[in-house]
Amino acid sequence: MNEKQLSKEESLELITNMIGQAKRNVAKGGSFYFLLWGWVVALANLGHYLIEKFSWYEHPYIVWILMIPAMIITMIHSARRDRNAKVVSHYDKVYTHLWMAVFIAIIVLLFSMHRLDFNHNAVILLFSGLATYLSGFLLKFKPLILGGIALGVSALIAFNVSVNDQYLVASIALILGYLIPGYLLKKAESEQV
Amino acid sequence: MSKFKDLDPLLHSQLRLGVMSLLIGVDSAEFVFIKEKTGATAGNLSVQLDKLSNAGYISVTKSFKGKKPVTTCSITKVGIKAFEDYVNNLKGYIA
Repeated sequence: MNEKQLSKEESLELITNMIGQAKRNVAKGGSFYFLLWGWVVALANLGHYLIEKFSWYEHPYIVWILMIPAMIITMIHSARRDRNAKVVSHYDKVYTHLWMAVFIAIIVLLFSMHRLDFNHNAVILLFSGLATYLSGFLLKFKPLILGGIALGVSALIAFNVSVNDQYLVASIALILGYLIPGYLLKKAESEQV
Repeated sequence: MSKFKDLDPLLHSQLRLGVMSLLIGVDSAEFVFIKEKTGATAGNLSVQLDKLSNAGYISVTKSFKGKKPVTTCSITKVGIKAFEDYVNNLKGYIA
């Protein structure tokens, strides 16, 4: 591009073209988080359910220690991704802050779980469903929208079963809401140029 | 009298308009990204970015990624207003 004088048609064409260049979905790599958290939380829920159901060990919540390495991996991975990003769209920011807000909401919930008679899992499913549903729209990726709906329906089921059965419901919900859409997203990302 | 008397001369230049159109759609973009998308030379792009920055249309921040210096640009509120005025004026000619 140089300093040549533009006609009005050229101006419009240039604007349209440049806006098109910058218009893209959220940065690639979103599937990593759905797969990481999908596996970790689904396994932790299943572990908690089985340990409590069959009384294998008196502290079933020990499985949630898995959250610590998952959080560390998430922090390292997102810091590296931010460092390498040459452009940050408004969508990228909305996407990041959506999940950050949900993460904080879940932390608040976990500190208050005794107030909810330990029905926190159903509320966590609801929050995750909300964020997954919106992520689907931000990424224009239908399987995530459906995943968000699946998580919402699971929350409704979870509210109507015993606290221990909620762990089983959550485990299945994460397969439907995070893992299946996560693998489909990974496939879509690898096909994207 | 020029047909384009109402068009902001700062924006009515191919490269500067290109840069502004790119930045209007993103939160921030690095120099290398703008250079790649506009196909401009580094020298010319630097000069034009300075002009836009001096007019308050964009903000330019310099930082380091490890040891590598990085220039990041983003559009300002003044820049958004100028861009919108430019597009509205342009519409006036087309209509």
